[in-house]
Amino acid sequence: MVIALLVAYGTLVAPFATFRANRIVPGEAKSILAALPVSAGVVLLGLMVVAAAIILLKTPALLRLAAAAVSLGAIALFIGLTATYLTPPENTYARVSPASGFWVLLFAYALLAADSITRLRPRPGVRVLLLIATLAGATAILVSGLWDGLSILKEYAGRADVFWLEAGRHVALALGSLFASVVVGLPLGILCHRVEPLRAGVLNTLNLIQTIPSIALFGILIAPLGWIAVNVPGAAAIGIRGIGAAPAFVALFLYSLLPVVANTVVGLAGVPREANEAARGIGMTDRQRLFGIELPLAMPVILTGIRIVLVQNIGLATIAALIGGGGFGVFVFQGIGQTAMDLVLLGAVPTVVLAFAAAIVLDALIEMNTPSQNRGRTA
Amino acid sequence: MIEIDGITKRYDGTAVVDNVTMTIAPRTVTVIVGTSGSGKTTLLRMINRLVEPSAGAIRLDGDDNRSMPGYELRRRIGYAIQGHGLFPHRTVAQNIATVPVLLGWDKARIDAKVAELLALFQLDPAIFAARFPHELSGGQQQRVGVARALAAEPKVLLMDEPFGALDPIIRAKAQADLLDIQKLLKTTIVLVTHDMDEAFHLADKIAVMDKGELVQYGTPAELVTNPATEFVQTLIGASERPFRLLSIETAGQAVEPGTADGQPVDAATSQRDVLSELLWTGRDALPVAAADGTLLGKVTLEGLARRAARPQ
Repeated sequence: MVIALLVAYGTLVAPFATFRANRIVPGEAKSILAALPVSAGVVLLGLMVVAAAIILLKTPALLRLAAAAVSLGAIALFIGLTATYLTPPENTYARVSPASGFWVLLFAYALLAADSITRLRPRPGVRVLLLIATLAGATAILVSGLWDGLSILKEYAGRADVFWLEAGRHVALALGSLFASVVVGLPLGILCHRVEPLRAGVLNTLNLIQTIPSIALFGILIAPLGWIAVNVPGAAAIGIRGIGAAPAFVALFLYSLLPVVANTVVGLAGVPREANEAARGIGMTDRQRLFGIELPLAMPVILTGIRIVLVQNIGLATIAALIGGGGFGVFVFQGIGQTAMDLVLLGAVPTVVLAFAAAIVLDALIEMNTPSQNRGRTA
Repeated sequence: MIEIDGITKRYDGTAVVDNVTMTIAPRTVTVIVGTSGSGKTTLLRMINRLVEPSAGAIRLDGDDNRSMPGYELRRRIGYAIQGHGLFPHRTVAQNIATVPVLLGWDKARIDAKVAELLALFQLDPAIFAARFPHELSGGQQQRVGVARALAAEPKVLLMDEPFGALDPIIRAKAQADLLDIQKLLKTTIVLVTHDMDEAFHLADKIAVMDKGELVQYGTPAELVTNPATEFVQTLIGASERPFRLLSIETAGQAVEPGTADGQPVDAATSQRDVLSELLWTGRDALPVAAADGTLLGKVTLEGLARRAARPQ
């Protein structure tokens, strides 16, 4: 089994942690036993062996999930220990960071957890609870200070204020542009559905926008937004400028429109013809039909579009930093500039966690909106 | 009463329904038949203005059907279609309650109506009210579709191939149930079908449409004995004529005095079915009993043969 192989590789071959004398020099790889006090190293190795056995044997999904959770917790705890163990006392330049072995193990157990969760088929609410429990666990470790010795958190420690400022900007960019695209895209999708000649034109235009690379789109937007800032009174006052958050917001909004509009059109087109026909025939007005029949039946497809947009925006918002739009991208690009991988991770890890959490929550939401109808289509 | 007065519908200059005039008597079942593309569905849909006519007028109990907005008109007229058209995201009870809710009935009245209709259609409210349409069989879905159409107690019920998606056994049952419910509620039913057996089984009067024109409008017997055109004759089927005549009337209407051996047939059975039974069992007479079991007399092969012959 692939996961067991990954665990074996991550445990025995790949280094668990990297020790560097300062934040930019190449590091020294340490295996589990070298990175931890002997007793702790043995415990971790033992745990990994048990976990691998559980994976290899045909065990129930619940046990596998438990194994994944315990193992994830264990490597999370022990990576914190390596930092305190490896860093010489009173040395503030030295950096200890998770090495490939840690990441491989993290990936393997995440895969195992995802796999066993899929097999258990929990209800959407339970999935969200699992997500909250996981995030709560990570938060608890963060607050406890166990990871404070790790390089990423050392980078964070120096930038705590900026980190939360950029986090706020990142979320505001991603959610704000999503909100704007739903406000505009949903009515536009409904219009495209009702007025057939409009459909091809609108969708093709949005498709075209989607193909423009993000950096190019930022460039294209500088001129018109700059012009607006200069010539429209009050525009500059609310933050509209050629560079910064405004073009990032506009670009994310434009990218978001296609999934929202296209999924609205597809969702509405998928409403059973007879249901629409009957709704008209028994005296619903167009508005009652739209809100009572068409939108509820199209909702799962529309939500799928919103899910695509949200995950896409959380990722894309990273690029906004390039034109001074802020967000987690700030750390990524600073880190690349300084060849400080830890700083890159400080930007990248929260972005991934955010996107992942958003995907799970929206998937649950979609499923809660589907049940009666999904079963209806198979019947 | 539904008065259809010189109604015409043109699409791009082609008349789909061409100057049709007919009057539908209240509390009757009128079946509109015709081949596909004959304009029968368009004619039906002009009654509740799902299609707006190009010319002519339709009056319901004397009022032009354009005297109120289309959606308000449609709330007063029942409408049932092929494949039921139930809303998949709403329960059976919510589906049936659709029009009463649109009309703003209070909750107690709606609940009572839903329970009454479910019982009328032989669906136990305790079991079916909270189910979703996909949890029902085809026949049950169809019944809920008709129940929904009748929820606001319309005087007129329009049905567009309502039994088209049902298998033959369930269809026969659904047709019988519809006739019972029509007798009970005294609804005026206008039904579109291409199935002549269905038309003869259900109709008080049949309207035959061909290429947008109404070619004949009369009782089933008139159609058989006196077809207006070649087309009507083809539609009925020359070899089917005697059997069509027999299928219009019931055994009760062919009773002769006397007795016969064998299991009595119900007086409501169609004469056609009695003939079939006689031929199959090799008898020349069968006793006829009323619904309560009292013997009324007998039906003979000879008597049915006389009735099946062309009227002189």
